[in-house]
Amino acid sequence: MPSILRDLKPVYVVGVGFHRYQYLSETSYVELGLTAVRQALADANIEWPAVESAYVAKALLPMAPGRPMLRHLGSHGLPIAHVENASASGSTAFRHACYEVAAGLTDVSLAVGVDKPAKVLRGESLTGIPHLANDAIVPFTHFALLADEYANKYGIDLDDVALVALKNHSNAAKNPNAQRQKERTLEEIINGTQISGSFTSLQCTPVGEGAAAVIVASEDGIKQLGIDASRAIRVTASAACSQRLYENAASFDAELTEETTRLALQQAGCDAADLDLVELHDAFTIEELEYVERMGLCEPGQAIFALKEGQFNIGGRCAVSASGGLIGMGHPIGPTGIGQVGEITRQLRNEAGERQQPSAKKGLAHMVGVGAVCYVHILEK
Amino acid sequence: MSQLRLLKPNLYTSPDEKGDIQLMGGRCSCGYCFFPMQHYGCEQCGAKGDELKAVPLTGKGELVSSAVVHKHADERRQTPFVVGSVRLTDGPVVRTLLDVDTDVRLAPGTELTAVLVDVEGKESETFQDLRFRPSRLVTGGGA
Repeated sequence: MPSILRDLKPVYVVGVGFHRYQYLSETSYVELGLTAVRQALADANIEWPAVESAYVAKALLPMAPGRPMLRHLGSHGLPIAHVENASASGSTAFRHACYEVAAGLTDVSLAVGVDKPAKVLRGESLTGIPHLANDAIVPFTHFALLADEYANKYGIDLDDVALVALKNHSNAAKNPNAQRQKERTLEEIINGTQISGSFTSLQCTPVGEGAAAVIVASEDGIKQLGIDASRAIRVTASAACSQRLYENAASFDAELTEETTRLALQQAGCDAADLDLVELHDAFTIEELEYVERMGLCEPGQAIFALKEGQFNIGGRCAVSASGGLIGMGHPIGPTGIGQVGEITRQLRNEAGERQQPSAKKGLAHMVGVGAVCYVHILEK
Repeated sequence: MSQLRLLKPNLYTSPDEKGDIQLMGGRCSCGYCFFPMQHYGCEQCGAKGDELKAVPLTGKGELVSSAVVHKHADERRQTPFVVGSVRLTDGPVVRTLLDVDTDVRLAPGTELTAVLVDVEGKESETFQDLRFRPSRLVTGGGA
């Protein structure tokens, strides 16, 4: 009989830590990762030996970087697993850490994401199946094509799509862990370096380096370690899907988002309208519009109007990418999904400072990864 | 007609006597039509081997979306260039290069036809590669 997270032992996020997302530097990945893990331990107010297992998310670093990093916290022999799932690597590591605790196998587990930009081959390039023009159609062009399709379908102005970037840069400017911390005007965004289709560089995520760590614990773990239960945030849903065949084959990211979000909302027993904040995979502006619609935060074709009304701003009906999202906060790949959980946790604890979404009780984290896969988690106060 | 040197001969044919180019797709016994042909297994039902048959797909379709690419990771590919999603008449949607000026904005639904254009190989030799062009601009058959 298949189980969902809520059927198992309750799991809580009890510690959150970051190393700021930033442009490629000389800093070792070890320094990045340890900074995040030590901050998460301090946040949970526990010592490293209390952590019983570690999931290390990375997509660009080479094989097995985990123990060479974690040994500097003290080598107490905990099991370590590396997780690679493209952009969803961090979300996947978090899911498995949650499931290990929920299954009662551990009381305290760690998910840490760390990466540094590097050129890596995609598995799909080695399948031996040729493409007409795959070397000409990289991710930003895939999404530029979707933006063109969306704009034609709903008769919207492509310049309005840039409003997503306006909001997310503004949110990131209030986030000390964001790679881009500068407010931008709509004019700056629209008139920036042209990349592909209507996208300019400020409408695309800057892939950089960084780290994010989250510690999850059971109720027993919280009691035994004396963790402050009032700051523990429950994980009430974890849903994951991979791509199927769709009538509109090009819209697989949106189709996947719809299915995975629906499953997560069912697990948590709530509706999209109950969500106070959402962190989603806005690597390119158009994604936010498509995903908020597919998640059910507004009707199809209405995302621009909801955005213009401020519904997705901090303080709006549902703050979308209060962290700054992938466009503003950045997308170091391995850390990204874990960083979303960190942001939501801080928001639900009312510890998000200038970015605080008032009275936030429920938050949803969403990532898609090439392949394609999709992961959605829901956290509740 | 002199022998053409196709850049990707496992994906498309030379023009036939009417000037038509075909794409080398496949069809499974379950009815699923795909491009390009592959033998690993059907993405719809998982069937393999003789259940998967190579079938020529007509080099015609309609535009789903298009984009002008201004920056590209591979500097050998000159920018700007135009790419599109094309729904082939036989069903599959392909992502491909379009042979149109960068200042032309094509409407979705525009009828497109496969054509061959000269491209330069790694050692400056000339190959023919597939592009899609608005059918109304294709002369000499097929349009």
